[in-house]
Amino acid sequence: MAQEKTYIEDIERTLYDIKNVDKSKYKSQSGLTEDIIRDISARKNDPEWMLEFRLKSLEVYNQLSLPNWGPDLSELNMDEIVTYVQPDAKMTGSWDEVPEDIKDTFDRLGIPEAEQTSLAGVGAQYDSEVVYHSIQEDLVKQGVIYTDMETALHEHEEIVRDHFMKLVPPKDHKFAALHGAVWSGGSFVYVPEGVHVEIPLQSYFRLNAAGAGQFEHTLIIVEKNASLHFIEGCSAPKYNVTNLHAGCVELFVNDGARLRYSTIENWSRNMMNLNTKRAVVGKDGVIEWVSGSFGSHVSMLYPCSVLKGENAKCEFTGVTFASKGQNLDTGASVIHCAPHTSANISTRTISKAGGKATYRSAVKVTKNAPYAKCSVNCESLMLDDISRSDTLPTMDIEGDEADIGHEATIGRISDEAIFYLMSRGISEDEARSMIVRGFVEPIAKELPLEYAVEMNNLVNIELEGTMG
Amino acid sequence: MNKEIFSEIPMRTWNWLGVNEATVDKDLLVESQKLDIDIEADHHEKMVVEYRKESYGIVNISIGENASLKLTQLQLMPEERNHANEVNIVLEKKARLQLVAVETGAKSFASKVNIILKGDKSQADVSVLYFGDGDRSLDMNYVLDFQGRKTVGNLEVYGGLMGESQKIFRGTLDFKQGSKQAKGYEKENVVVLSKGVRNRSVPIMLSGEDDVVGNHAVSSGKINEDKLHYLMSRGLSPAEARKLVLEAAFNPVLELIEDEVLRQEIDSYIKERLENE
Amino acid sequence: MEKLLNIKNLQVTVADNEAEDASKEILKGIDLQVNKGEIHVVLGPNGSGKSTLMNAIMGHPKYEIAGGSLEFEGEDLTELKTFERARKGIFLSFQTPEEIPGITVENMIRTAKQAVTGENIKVVKFRRELKAAMKELQMDESYAQRYMNVGFSGGEKKRNEILQMLMLQPKLALLDETDSGLDVDAIQIVSNGVKKFHNEDNACLIITHNTRILKQLNVDKVHVLMQGKIVAEGGPELIEKIDKEGFGFLQGAE
Ligand SMILES: Nc1ncnc2c1ncn2[C@@H]1O[C@H](COP(=O)(O)OP(=O)(O)OP(=O)(O)O)[C@@H](O)[C@H]1O
Ligand SMILES: [Mg+2]
Repeated sequence: MAQEKTYIEDIERTLYDIKNVDKSKYKSQSGLTEDIIRDISARKNDPEWMLEFRLKSLEVYNQLSLPNWGPDLSELNMDEIVTYVQPDAKMTGSWDEVPEDIKDTFDRLGIPEAEQTSLAGVGAQYDSEVVYHSIQEDLVKQGVIYTDMETALHEHEEIVRDHFMKLVPPKDHKFAALHGAVWSGGSFVYVPEGVHVEIPLQSYFRLNAAGAGQFEHTLIIVEKNASLHFIEGCSAPKYNVTNLHAGCVELFVNDGARLRYSTIENWSRNMMNLNTKRAVVGKDGVIEWVSGSFGSHVSMLYPCSVLKGENAKCEFTGVTFASKGQNLDTGASVIHCAPHTSANISTRTISKAGGKATYRSAVKVTKNAPYAKCSVNCESLMLDDISRSDTLPTMDIEGDEADIGHEATIGRISDEAIFYLMSRGISEDEARSMIVRGFVEPIAKELPLEYAVEMNNLVNIELEGTMG
Repeated sequence: MNKEIFSEIPMRTWNWLGVNEATVDKDLLVESQKLDIDIEADHHEKMVVEYRKESYGIVNISIGENASLKLTQLQLMPEERNHANEVNIVLEKKARLQLVAVETGAKSFASKVNIILKGDKSQADVSVLYFGDGDRSLDMNYVLDFQGRKTVGNLEVYGGLMGESQKIFRGTLDFKQGSKQAKGYEKENVVVLSKGVRNRSVPIMLSGEDDVVGNHAVSSGKINEDKLHYLMSRGLSPAEARKLVLEAAFNPVLELIEDEVLRQEIDSYIKERLENE
Repeated sequence: MEKLLNIKNLQVTVADNEAEDASKEILKGIDLQVNKGEIHVVLGPNGSGKSTLMNAIMGHPKYEIAGGSLEFEGEDLTELKTFERARKGIFLSFQTPEEIPGITVENMIRTAKQAVTGENIKVVKFRRELKAAMKELQMDESYAQRYMNVGFSGGEKKRNEILQMLMLQPKLALLDETDSGLDVDAIQIVSNGVKKFHNEDNACLIITHNTRILKQLNVDKVHVLMQGKIVAEGGPELIEKIDKEGFGFLQGAE
């Protein structure tokens, strides 16, 4: 029943949004067809190889089945996947259609109105475009390329061709295949050898570039001994009528390079967020993930680090906050494939009001990775007894020289800690939210200040009205 | 293939890890030794189950209110045989279980243990020892299901792996909604002695109840070098030192085996394996 | 003299963990008055109920008031929540202070001060005061940025309690074995802190097993608690007597 309702709503929305298009054409097609892919590709003016790639991906997509693990995805009607794929169907037509709760959150996050309309996809892009351009000039001087994927595909075709979906091949899973077939938009960053990009690059600035947001592809290459901090998304809920997000992020961190990839994700609560992120790290290279998951209806997100060069390192810091109606299945995986590689995974999950948070991880040490070191620490906080919190890590270790440790705890806010804070004059509600903020602090402190503040605001918004 | 799914983890994960289920030969599950035991309220029992030739064994136990059971299960199958065993235990109010499980035999084995802490204040303390060498394969799936209030469950696992042995240990603490003030603890310490080993651990913690305390920890690594060094500086050979350190690591389980003869048997079995390496 | 704390026939029970629905009586009728400007000391063997008394005054939810009355400045405390009591000016230095990850000492004290005074606290001025107080207690400044008591040694936790007392300036300070676990020098430092804090307008109620902390304080009254009852009261001379002879001579005083 519930499933049907969602489906009909989706269809209605889609029809509404593409009212200028011949409806019958879309009605008659179930599933994704070669024609649709050719159409997307033609509209994007893809080079021939990309069209081939898309078609191959489609083939893979049709062969693969949905994962038999993880959250229930039955709300996604795969037979009607085409309704999710229409590239122009995703923005709302007018401000009035943006749900009240989202507008409310915009207000509470203190986002200016111009920006609000832009985030909701009903306004023009706001001033930050200007900021973005001035950054751009500086980067160009250093030889850094920062542009959208479509432009990169034309202007830096060789680089894209050498890297595109090499790390996340379409056959990885069904949504990777879907992504390969219909991807559109996203960011491309190339940092030349030895260049240190001092300011964080933020995809936020280009959030509403055409086609961004649903099947966007992010490709970042950090050459030898270079460094970069890239920030994806923003704390404002991005409203999208169509509710499938199957993005893909591929990060190439070469020898001696360092990349920090930060995300605070707050998709609107109708979103199925099935995002694939992967990094490959060369000798002495470092990948740092900072990942905050607050939004979406269902998420499956497990950034993966392939530690390929000797001494490569991975630091993963993540926080997930699942509230009413949310099933957030997040975590990380690390593959150690070279000697002396090391990884540190630290996560915090919170669940409340019937939300379901799952921490899932995989640590794999291959035979080629003697002296690998990995330590995992994951803590879960439950704010009531109608929510769920599950922890499901797996370690797969070959060889006798690895040193692997894993620790996890689950529980609620300690009464004694609340009493302690209250004995200092702090009200019960404030004591609870202080403790929750303290719980996510290890992540907040990894974020640039303005993001840390936003994340705190998000936590506060989430906690309002549920405490005491 | 004549295989059958013997046990599964309560929540699936990536298939490429190969830990979602354990399959065994169908033939293995045909002949079984089955024990059904009821321990009446307020009774206190001790039991030893040994597997030396049975390809498949099931033990079903219910422990009544205020009753207690110490169950020692030793799997000492010959090394060319395959084996599967299953333990299902339900604990009523204030019942106590101490389970000591030793898995040192068989060429390839799968075991599943399901303990339901049904009654309030029931408690289960589970200690497991496993040892793998040669090309043996070890597959274990332990679930502690917390249902009653103030239930306590501890799962302590000590393992040693050498040769080209492969092991999967899955340990689940499942806090059901309503298991208020339950406490669960799981730890697995694995000592890896040779390069060819494949060691998989899946410590799972599931919770539908906030008023619980759950912890799990896994550590996997080489034998403690400092300890080895210390012992060798006292004149022990590397092999002797290794034996001693490993023995010490297994002691928390070994010392729970009351029967002197059985304990000696397991101890010397492990020593012998270490020498052959 | 103005009455600050007025306890009459206080009975306190705690829910028993073992026997369901049963509760254990710990305090069996306590009378205690503390006036402004005074320093009181509570002595008593382990398990006699000293911390329970402190927790009851502070309103710990686990400790139930089964009878008697508990007033602060003439107002009934029993209906007030813990934080409301704190805002009235009661402060408890815990026997075992909680560790609270993620909340820095500075943030904690600033939030508390804001809550207690009801005023917006100016950051610069607050920092200056905090620094000065930390210096007084010979705490390294860097501790302001550490998480509340996380990884603190026993003695550092206790100093952190006194730091909060100095910053919050309560009317009544309850010190539950603040001196235990401190080295000789640290006891001196904490004792100085208490001395500096104490004036005509506030009062201290000190629990201790060690008379050293009391050396430079002018103790007004001593109460001896045994098995949930006050079995003896007197002036500072009682401290010396107990220090020499132990609690033995009081046995059977009930
Ligand atoms: N939360 C509680 N649950 C059960 N029993 C309690 C609780 N708190 C205190 N008690 C019991 O009440 C008695 C008094 O404890 P209390 O902590 O007040 O003693 P104390 O005088 O402060 O001792 P000490 O000098 O060791 O600090 C003890 O027997 C203690 O076990
Ligand atoms: Mg005490």
